[in-house]
Amino acid sequence: MIIKNLSVRFGAFTAVDDVTLEIPDGGVVGLVGESGSGKSSLARAVCGLVPHTGSVEGARRVQMVFQDPYASLNPRMTVGRTIAEGAGPKEVERLLGLVRLPAELAGRYPRELSGGQRQRVAIARALGGNPGLLVADEITSSLDVSVQGAVLNLVRGLRDELGLTMLFISHNLAVVRYVADVVAVMHHGRLVEVGPTEQVVGEPAHEYTRALLAAVPRLRG
Amino acid sequence: MTGWSRRNAPGVAGAVIVAAMAVLAVVGPPIWGDEAVRIDAAAILQGASPGHPLGTDNLGRDLLARVLVAGRYSLLLALAATAIGAVAGIVLGTLPSVLPRRAARLATGTVNALVAFPGLLLAMFTAVVTGLGARGAVLGIGAAIAPGFARLTQTLAATVANADYVSAARMLGVPRRRILTRHVLPNIAEPLILNLTQALGGALLGLAGMSFLGLGVQPPDFDWGRLLFDGFPRIYVTPEVALGPAAAVALAGIGFNLLGDALARAAARTSVVRERTPAPPVADGAGEPDPGAVLEVRDLTVTFPGGVTPVRQLSLTVAPGEIVGLVGESGSGKSLTAAAIGGLVPYPGTVTYAALRLGGRDVATLSDKELGTALAMVFQDPLAALNPALKVGGQLAEVAIVHEGADRAEARRRAVDRLGHVHLPEPERRARQHPHELSGGMRQRAVIAMGLMGTPRLIVADEPTTALDVTVQRQILRLLREVVEETGAATLFISHDIAVVGELCDRVVVMYAGRVVEELPAGRLADGAAHPYTKALIASLPDLDTDRSTPLAGIAGTQPAPGQIGLGCAFAPRCPLATARCESERPELVAHGPGQRVACWEVK
Ligand SMILES: Nc1ncnc2c1ncn2[C@@H]1O[C@H](COP(=O)(O)OP(=O)(O)OP(=O)(O)O)[C@@H](O)[C@H]1O
Ligand code: SF4
Ligand SMILES: [Mg+2]
Repeated sequence: MIIKNLSVRFGAFTAVDDVTLEIPDGGVVGLVGESGSGKSSLARAVCGLVPHTGSVEGARRVQMVFQDPYASLNPRMTVGRTIAEGAGPKEVERLLGLVRLPAELAGRYPRELSGGQRQRVAIARALGGNPGLLVADEITSSLDVSVQGAVLNLVRGLRDELGLTMLFISHNLAVVRYVADVVAVMHHGRLVEVGPTEQVVGEPAHEYTRALLAAVPRLRG
Repeated sequence: MTGWSRRNAPGVAGAVIVAAMAVLAVVGPPIWGDEAVRIDAAAILQGASPGHPLGTDNLGRDLLARVLVAGRYSLLLALAATAIGAVAGIVLGTLPSVLPRRAARLATGTVNALVAFPGLLLAMFTAVVTGLGARGAVLGIGAAIAPGFARLTQTLAATVANADYVSAARMLGVPRRRILTRHVLPNIAEPLILNLTQALGGALLGLAGMSFLGLGVQPPDFDWGRLLFDGFPRIYVTPEVALGPAAAVALAGIGFNLLGDALARAAARTSVVRERTPAPPVADGAGEPDPGAVLEVRDLTVTFPGGVTPVRQLSLTVAPGEIVGLVGESGSGKSLTAAAIGGLVPYPGTVTYAALRLGGRDVATLSDKELGTALAMVFQDPLAALNPALKVGGQLAEVAIVHEGADRAEARRRAVDRLGHVHLPEPERRARQHPHELSGGMRQRAVIAMGLMGTPRLIVADEPTTALDVTVQRQILRLLREVVEETGAATLFISHDIAVVGELCDRVVVMYAGRVVEELPAGRLADGAAHPYTKALIASLPDLDTDRSTPLAGIAGTQPAPGQIGLGCAFAPRCPLATARCESERPELVAHGPGQRVACWEVK
């Protein structure tokens, strides 16, 4: 699928400025950029959630996983009903297993879950929609490192098994580097650099990409 | 008078009045019904007398009895009018979210026009068209109430309709009608019900007004408005005959309004500030306070009914000017630990501890005010900490007014100063804005500024940057550092992100299944971590050299739920080093090198 000349404007402010980006079938494109650079607006436009100009071609059954697990689940619906809404009641247990949550959680309400547990429910819900394109907006930024690893492995597994096409948005270049085949760097609403992952990470062409690389938290070495 | 009773006195008064009205409606007619209609030719048009405290009417009927009996009819009519108005309003208000775009705009326009139309005119017009009498009046008042309800429903629905969970449902192809009944209506029911109470008071007054104008209840029926209408011509001669029904109407109207108001405020409050949990039972062996610690926690346990114990005998200390990171995976009890320190564990949780001291004093002995100034809490979701209806500056000022008795101008000046202090651009202008007009990072700055309104000795920050982007995250972390260095406050920084903690903090406390499993200086994280869980956490962190062709080293299995933690080491089912002993016997936290403590049998 391909995003062509997409722009999003809020009043006089241009959040996304003429972005063209191709997401190959079965590929994972990583989108990185700073706060307010327009990543989430681009994601929402691709999902048809905000008005935009330009076009999104060839994307069927787009599902999205949101950044904030506190706002993305209906507080009055149980986990089971939330997941069943797209996938049907029979799939609930399998989907919970996919995101490594025990089946007993199906009867709980979001307020009875910790933040990380909520995010995993949101991922299960999106997977239940059998997405042709999955837009993941900072889905690991509120997850534990241990779970983050599992989710990243899961993301890669889904790509390999189901040929899942994904737009994977994250502020962490290390995370994006691990899952994405192509990395796009966004700055002030524009794409400043797009290229194969190893190239962008290994020989960053744009100054802003280098700043992002420097911001990756490091523990080892 | 305590703070609670001062704050809630109007609500209590409202509840008492409303309850009294309900009782009157039930018992009034059976008790005084006969007297209210007994005609007495000898006592026509009298003023107040011992036998007739409110006088009599033109047929000699006792007016006090009539006022008491009319309560039922007045309330029933008000209920009917409110029900009609609410149903019509809610239907009208939800139309825009189910209709196609063009029709939706028409519905919105209609509501806007109706809201702008004077309510009384609308009521009178409807009443005249539908015919004089009780039915017309009820329909008229219903029509007058409906636009307000429609507007409220519309605004609430629009807010919920933009929520992420509604977007998610829409993308899953859930039909519009189902989105409305499942996602939108249940989430706006609460404010609508509160509004209903207030509308009831309004309907009561409105109906009385209609009857008073001769448009409402017609004889021989009577409600308060009708009694007022009949008594009014005599008001200069015998005022009591009109004042009785007038007082009844006013009292009932005020009662419903007070109650509705108090309910609405209580509902707004529960989602923002929770009541403090009562002082926990103190286990013995508290010992002497640690003089070098601002926060001292020993054997803190949080339990929920049903054997669910998310925090188990947790101990930690934080020294002045020190940032201690509390890490652990989701559900390990980090947030509940923070909540327990702030006295915010939600009902029905119970908190016990051997020691929980802030500046050397047991937190249970601190007043709300002392705790409010000594402790600043910053949460993951800044919106939850800010009231959406109030301006940012006013909310900050409120802290100084409530906790320190500062006067309004001084509090406001300080609020703007603090906002500037956390590097919020244009603090003057931002102070006059509402929270939703600020970006996520700005809101979090505002919350930190709020914490700085007092002079906090301890800052507890629970995932303050998780919802923020990396660059903003760095700015907020730098700000926290700055604040700590400047104020010398002790800080407990909670995060699931061990890399962030490693960069920001002086010391790291690792939690697993409600217990501390390792404690070490942040600088030793990279190569000095000893507990298998800490090591696994670090290994599962991807960096720029991670091999992309192999799966990330995760930790297989899941953390046990707080109700299913066994006797032994809670990590045993996932631990590569586990032995038979680990399953049955729990390792204690013991010293392991300088500044480090580990709870593991296999670490020697
Ligand atoms: N009100 C409650 N009633 C019952 N159980 C609860 C309640 N609140 C939290 N829990 C449970 O207590 C455990 C610890 O929750 P807590 O919110 O402290 O985790 P956390 O470490 O902050 O996780 P996260 O990183 O996801 O925020 C979880 O298993 C959670 O499901
Ligand atoms: S005590 Fe045993 S099970 Fe627990 S962490 Fe140590 S080796 Fe693993
Ligand atoms: Mg938490």
